[in-house]
Amino acid sequence: MTDWTRRQIGGLIGGALLAVAAPHIVRGQGRAKIVVIGGGIGGATVARYLGDMKSIDVTLVEPNSNHVTCFFSNLYLAGLRSLASLTFGLETLAEGYGITIIRDSAVAIDPVGRAVELRGGTKLSYDRLVVAPGVAFKFGEIEGYDEAAAKIMPHAWIAGPQSELLRRQLESMEDGGVFVIAAPPNPFRCPPAPYERASLVACYFKQFKPRSKILILDAKDKFSGQELFQDAWSRHYPGMIEWLPSQFTGAIKAVDVAARSVVTEGETFRAAVANIIPAQKAGLIGEKAGLIDASGWCPVDPVTFESTLQPGIHVVGDSIIGGDMPKSAFSANSQAKACAFAIAASLTGSPQFPPHLFNSCYTFLAPDDAFTNALTFAPEGGRIKTVKMFISKVGESAEVRRRTAHHAVGWYSAFTADVFGGGS
Amino acid sequence: MKRERVAAIVSRAKGLAAEIRWLLGLSLSAILLFPEGSAPADISQGAQIAATCASCHEPTGGGQAIPPIAALDEQAIVKAMLAFRASESPSLVMHAVALSLSDDELAATARYLADRANAGRQP
Repeated sequence: MTDWTRRQIGGLIGGALLAVAAPHIVRGQGRAKIVVIGGGIGGATVARYLGDMKSIDVTLVEPNSNHVTCFFSNLYLAGLRSLASLTFGLETLAEGYGITIIRDSAVAIDPVGRAVELRGGTKLSYDRLVVAPGVAFKFGEIEGYDEAAAKIMPHAWIAGPQSELLRRQLESMEDGGVFVIAAPPNPFRCPPAPYERASLVACYFKQFKPRSKILILDAKDKFSGQELFQDAWSRHYPGMIEWLPSQFTGAIKAVDVAARSVVTEGETFRAAVANIIPAQKAGLIGEKAGLIDASGWCPVDPVTFESTLQPGIHVVGDSIIGGDMPKSAFSANSQAKACAFAIAASLTGSPQFPPHLFNSCYTFLAPDDAFTNALTFAPEGGRIKTVKMFISKVGESAEVRRRTAHHAVGWYSAFTADVFGGGS
Repeated sequence: MKRERVAAIVSRAKGLAAEIRWLLGLSLSAILLFPEGSAPADISQGAQIAATCASCHEPTGGGQAIPPIAALDEQAIVKAMLAFRASESPSLVMHAVALSLSDDELAATARYLADRANAGRQP
């Protein structure tokens, strides 16, 4: 009887130990080590939420000391917001969440040895790796448009110096000039943003350069929120914005930087200022790590955001593909939380709940006129599928739109605090 | 009879000792999992869904345009969410969120948020 009791109790204690101490057994020693590559919205959110769990050792690798948000950067281009107000440091993640921040870039990933090599020579071992590289540009697709050309015809699609360059060009443009926006093919970061940019720059022109025009040369024949944008353009900026779909122009084939012209299949357009937003693909570290498939993007499991190509490596944010979620900051934030909880559940042997994936974007048509959408998603058949979608409607009252613009500003404040731990 | 009573007392004492050892074992395992006095990770369903709330609602409860939720009690959260579920007005964003949650998920989230508020912590 005594022996039986001892075995039973021993088994109970052993079982309890095994169940709750599983992370230590899995990784061998110390706290579980998670390395996150990329301190943008997706990477910072993963780091922050894993850091919040205390029992996990999180290292965030990011070459830049600050992050400038792409969302709201069109307000900066229109002179409605400072770039400083869109700039966030990573220090709160370090101080408030105990995350180790390394200012460096990853140059190689060893998925078998579970190690990351940094440009500065450091090697980091990991139990789980999260990669959030954002987007890179397909510079070869428009003839004459490369990184050097982007210093004259900015893309301003990664906020920061490119945004400042475009703002300077718009400020120095003479009244009566044509601002050309080359809108990219799908899929690309933030689907409504080229058209929000046109709206807000039109707002700036209306006040300071009222004879100027905006020409959108699109690689597509339709775009996100089209009805809402075209309604707003006719209400706020009549005759100022012209949108030419691909079926009319044959899309952009080349740029001539010296002549500041944009060449489509049938016509050449001269621009006082040209904003060329190239076709996009997953960020470059994805290529080095073997995370990218033939689509140019990273396929992932829609529950855990673990790469379907490289086990043990998770990918979140704009660089993933495999479902209906748009490439937006909100999507990246939502995916990052799902990924962080999935990693924690896996390490502790806790139950895995199906993630509630969500996206909501606020889009400005004018400073006091904004629309919003809200989409819910769920994993289904290995992909992320839209469950419900709601969007503002044409014909809403000015008061509703004003309130939405007000909500947008409140959302920005809360969202950036959620991602970066508060404070700019 | 006397011998039987003694045997019962011994047996109870052994049981008590076993329970103490078992409880000690649990305490030991908790120390092993969460070293350095750190808090355990809350990865409950409520915590996971509530993380979505923090994408729009200020963690300090100071939001002006988007109302704070940090200090709401469980019933107030459930009542508000059921109203959002019923109509796209006044917020299509909250309508979408409310529709995405089952009654059980909503209850778990409200309980989590209210517990956090009671504990003086942020969602």
